[in-house]
This record gives sequence, C-alpha cells and structure tokens, in this order.
Amino acid sequence: MPYAGGVPLETPFGTLYGTNITPHATTGIGRWSEPDFVRAMREGVDRNGKHLYPAFPYQHFTLLPDDELHALYAYVMTRTPVEYVPPANKLTFPFNIRPLLAVWNALYLRRHDHRPDPMQSAQWNRGAYLVQSLGHCGACHSPLNALGAEKRDDYLGGGYAEGWYAPPLDEKNPSPVPWTTQALAAYLRHGIAPQHAMAGGPMQGVVGGLAQASGEDVDAMAVYLVSLMGVSTPDREVRENQSLALANASRTDSATPAPSDARERLPSGASLYIGACASCHAEGRRASSGTALQLSLAVAVHEGDPSSLIRIIREGITAPEGERSRWMPAFAGALTDEQITALVTYLRTLAPEAPPWRNVSEQVAKARSSS
Amino acid sequence: MKLNVNDRAYDVDADPDTPLLYVLRDHLQLNGAKFGCGLGQCGACTVMVGGEAVFSCLVPIAVVGGRGVKTVEGLGTKQVPGPLQAAFIEEQAAQCGYCIPGMMMRAQALLEKNAAPTEAEIRTALMPNLCRCGTHMRIIRAVQRAAGSMKRGHSG
Repeated sequence: MPYAGGVPLETPFGTLYGTNITPHATTGIGRWSEPDFVRAMREGVDRNGKHLYPAFPYQHFTLLPDDELHALYAYVMTRTPVEYVPPANKLTFPFNIRPLLAVWNALYLRRHDHRPDPMQSAQWNRGAYLVQSLGHCGACHSPLNALGAEKRDDYLGGGYAEGWYAPPLDEKNPSPVPWTTQALAAYLRHGIAPQHAMAGGPMQGVVGGLAQASGEDVDAMAVYLVSLMGVSTPDREVRENQSLALANASRTDSATPAPSDARERLPSGASLYIGACASCHAEGRRASSGTALQLSLAVAVHEGDPSSLIRIIREGITAPEGERSRWMPAFAGALTDEQITALVTYLRTLAPEAPPWRNVSEQVAKARSSS
Repeated sequence: MKLNVNDRAYDVDADPDTPLLYVLRDHLQLNGAKFGCGLGQCGACTVMVGGEAVFSCLVPIAVVGGRGVKTVEGLGTKQVPGPLQAAFIEEQAAQCGYCIPGMMMRAQALLEKNAAPTEAEIRTALMPNLCRCGTHMRIIRAVQRAAGSMKRGHSG
C-alpha cells in the first residue's frame, strides 16, 4: 500500500522499517497538525517529540521552503488512510536508543535555506536545489562517517546503499563514457541511456519515483550533476577510448572482449563470461540481446569497489511485482561463490585503467550472507 | 565433462562453455527443457542445479561441477507422474505446454525449500517464467495442489 510503511531499509546499524505516513488516525499521521509535520521534516522529531532516525532524510529536507512543506502536508493528508503498523526496527546497541539522536542532530543537523548561486543559470540552481533537498542523492552517493552522517567535505564523493556501491557523482565519476546532460536525464527518468548501464539495485526505486517527476525538473537535476562531474581530462579520455575499443572488439569476437592476455591469465573467468554473459552482452544493446550493454561500458566494472558488480550478477535486475522495468536474470543460484569471484576478477580486466580489486572473494561471501 | 542428471552419471563430450540446455537436449536427449529466448528472459529452459532453479540456456556446463542436475524428466514418468506433474494434469495447467517444464522445475525448487508457500510466495518465485497462453492462474493452483499432496505424502 502506498505510504503505509513497512519497507525495510538495511543500514550498518540494523534494519529500519518505513513508518505509516497515511492519514490514518492511530497507525498513521492522521492526527498530526501542519506544525507537527513541518517539525518532523526539518528537525527529525515526531508528533510525540520522539527522535526519528536520519534514514528519514530530514537533514536534506531542511532546505525545503515553507510553501513546499505546506504542499507536501496537503498531499500526504489527502491520501487514503491505511490501518497498518510496520514491523519494529531491529537496531544494534547503542543505535536503538533514540534520545542519543539529539547528540547526532547537534553534531550534524544544519538548518539552512537554499541560496541560489547567482553565477549559474536558473536551471542549474533548480537542479542543485532538487539534488540537495528532495532528491537527497547524497544519502547514498556521499561517503558516510562512522555515525552515518554524510561527510561534508566529500559531497557526492561515492557511498553505499544496501550493499551496493553508489558511485561518485563529482569529478571522480567512474562512468567510462562521460555523462552528457541528455543521457543523464534519460537515465534518471527511464533507468536506461545509450552507452550507460541500466539502473540496478536501490537506484531502481529512484528511477521509479523520477519517472513521475516533471521533465523540466529531471533535466535540471541532470544539468547540475553533469556540471559537478566537470570537464573531460586526459585520463578520462583514455578510459573512454579504451572502453569503446573493447566494446567494438566484443561485437566482432565474443570470445575476446578483454585485453588479449586476460583470457590466458584468467581462463575460468573468461569461460564463464562466454557461457553465461556473452549471449546478451557481447553484441551490445540490441533488441535481440535483451538491451544488454557491452561490459567494458558498464560502470560497475570501473568502480573502486566490486560490490555493485557482485550484486548485479547475483540478483540481476527485476521489476517490483506488477511493474514494468529493465531486466537482467539473477545468477545467485547458478554460480557458486568461487565462480562469481572468478567472473568478477575477469570482468575487471575490461577496465584496464583501473587496478585489480583485492577483496573480491570476501565481498562475494558478504553479498551471499546478506541476501 | 562429467554430469549428473536426474541421479544418473553421464560423460559428455562438449566444450566447457556449452550451455547446459544444449547438452541436455542434443547430447542426452532430455528434451523436457525448452529453448525459448536464449537470454534468460522467458524461463522455458529452467532446470534445477544443486537444488536451485537456473536458466539452463545461460549456465555453461563448466559451472555445474559436482552439483546434481534435475530436469522435468526427473520428477516422474508418464506412467507414474510425480506429485507436481500430477497436479499440473489435474488442474489442466498446460495450454500449448512450452513453458510448463520450466514452470514445474521452478515450482519444484520452491517446494523443496518451502513446503507450504503462500500464493504471494508462489507468484514471486515463478516471476522469471513467462507463459504466453495465459495459464498463470491454473499454474498457481497446480503448485498449491502439489504442495498439498506432497504434504500428505502421495501424488495426485
């Protein structure tokens, strides 16, 4: 049921469950006044004065002006009330002690208004506002400190979300083909864009939400984010050219998508690629390939951390029940941990500019134990 | 390459990266599993490997190793159908029948892990398998019926 809560969120501190924000009087927020709602959104405190966990991104909502909070209140209070009590949170000590969040708020919560940058366009400023406030992209794409607060000095510098690596959206962005505004707007709206991998993991829900946002707003977010990624550098050009050359090689000879020596050095991974991946990924994005991308162009093989590549191999990409979406089959049942490790190690050679990953087997074991 | 299929050992002369589906059909003449899309999108090729339902079109035989393979032929015979096969017959869950061996194997993998699945669990488990005739409601009933008969310890 929309807005009724119960959606689990895995965090390093335990599992949180979304609360019921339908206007149901006893199990939802039906008795909340508008000031109660505004206080929760800006200060992370519920109607009874209880602290909310920062997984609810009130630290981003501090940027929302009064009129937007008023509109949000009107929207949620006119949804259908649902009587539902979500499961209790399962947090580890001491994170299960809510009053300690007052300390967290004192350390990390800043009340600030959004100040447009007069040197930038209105579209850029709109994008900056949306990315930093309602979009709260930093919740996953910024690194967090030991207490789960975003590191301010590395905004959008890359983070983690439910076991997936959320790549940097600043100049460290690892996409082999640099994002253009047009491609990024298409990706945010549809989860798929030319020469970029499809949205997977927690990003699928983001795309589902942005599909309902206005086109102008999504374009503005793309303008802002692409500006953060900055202009091309010689290193990036090398990465782009290598990735495109490997993608072309993969199209003509599916047996050798990787640099020539990788097949000899890593025969089991290469064999797994041919048997399990190549039938879709070798040719690139065609109707007959299930729109799979050549893997040298997939951001997951270029990232500093193998988590997302491991997750996508294990879990694939599936639609929430009853919804349309992109698709990739899951291989968790078909491949053993050893085989996934060999495959991931081989696929890393498709990013010749990047050093090999050192902890692949540990990460594979971790992904299995947490699924 | 050595393979164990339906509790029988085979020695197969094929490239290690040959899809399991081709070996089952072309080398072992086990034609239950079907070729549908070859992309892991339809589920017609579903078999079990080591107790897990997999798309055999995307599983090279090299990865099977010592894990046992089970196909629809391993669930019973024409004379003595297994509980799942009997349930599909009772519910008349097949129309053209092309997807059914894959549906059965994914259902079998589910029932071996969860003997009494809810309808929601059956729907979630069978989601990767498509039926273009639209017999889904009968398939769900057949899986529920099979769960019941397996629990009672007899077929039908």
